[in-house]
Amino acid sequence: MDSQPTALSSIDVLIEAVGRGSQDALKRLYEIESRRLFGIALRIVHRPEIAADVLQEAFVQIWQNAAAFSAERGAGAAWLTGIVRFRALDAVRKLGRETLTDDPALGDAVLDPDVIEKIDAVAEAGALKRCLGLLDDEQRRCIVLAFVHGLSHSEIAERIKAPLGSVKSWIRRGLLSLRRCLQP
Amino acid sequence: MIPENPEDLHVLAGEYVLGVLDEPDATEVAEALTTNIELRRAVTFWEEQLNPLSELASPAPPPPGTWEAIEARITKPASKPTSPPFWERVALWRWSTAGFAAAAAALALWIATTPAPGPRFVAILHAPQQDQASWVATAGRSGLVVRAVATATPPSDRVFELWAIAPDAARPRSLGVIPPDGELRLGTVPPDLRNGATLAISVEPVGGSPTQQPTGPVVFVGLVTAV
Repeated sequence: MDSQPTALSSIDVLIEAVGRGSQDALKRLYEIESRRLFGIALRIVHRPEIAADVLQEAFVQIWQNAAAFSAERGAGAAWLTGIVRFRALDAVRKLGRETLTDDPALGDAVLDPDVIEKIDAVAEAGALKRCLGLLDDEQRRCIVLAFVHGLSHSEIAERIKAPLGSVKSWIRRGLLSLRRCLQP
Repeated sequence: MIPENPEDLHVLAGEYVLGVLDEPDATEVAEALTTNIELRRAVTFWEEQLNPLSELASPAPPPPGTWEAIEARITKPASKPTSPPFWERVALWRWSTAGFAAAAAALALWIATTPAPGPRFVAILHAPQQDQASWVATAGRSGLVVRAVATATPPSDRVFELWAIAPDAARPRSLGVIPPDGELRLGTVPPDLRNGATLAISVEPVGGSPTQQPTGPVVFVGLVTAV
């Protein structure tokens, strides 16, 4: 394996090795990434046993699709996050949001207008943080609620007690502003 | 409808990555991703740009046994996955000479005995790196029929599941579980099934793959050809 200086690129290298059929590489990837990915799943599905199923499905999918992972797919960590989030959203759709016990802590981090301060602590968030800072509070809040908690348009509307149409338009306008700001 | 306007396309990709689309729209985007490069780039853009937000979810240790469960599902002593994925390797298997002769004979017989007008596709499926035709698939106006032409039964507690991979697709799409009598009929021809596509059969748990992608070994493959 190539020696790579940063954690991110070593994830890419591991994914490539998984794509060549290395179970050892998948195990190493699990050791490095499972806590982060389990945390992401748990935020969306709330129940640890469901989050564990999500993680299992995600790693089986990583095993099967790693060969198709390529430079076009971009950074490996984001690819892994995407797989886990989509499996978690599938689980929510299948089981229904109501059967998943609501986490009393849900929203504390993101309903808080200071979410931008919390993002501050996140490494590698420079451009995103700056661009999120340009959004209206509502736009930012909706985008973070959707991404971190996996809430749909209508769930966000319910959660922040706003009309559905407004939520849709905040997200749409927020995405447009973010794209303008983030694109080189 | 996937918009062509770059701004609308980017918003749709962003909504898809956020996960706020309703199910029909999300499915439409997922399907279009296999063929629409601009859409794929837009989705990758959002996945990468928004990824730092995922750190707002605190990391937590998965329950013990999770890795072992994953390991049990990926360990297939008989057919360890290798790179590239099986549907890209089909080209290497498909025209082995003896197999082609036998398959062509089977196909000629099939065509001669199956009256149906209109544009048609056929595929002969055989075990990877083996010659004998095991399944014949024909598709036409009356739909798709896949039938075993040699004895082929799945292991106990397992079923065969049929997959189609469009010529430009990134991943297979399930066409359904093959009934125990060895014949699968679909009333319509799936859009993925066209000249140059691949059909594949994998071994799956009863009820079919739980992941919408093959989880077990791929035991038969064949190339779809227009006739």
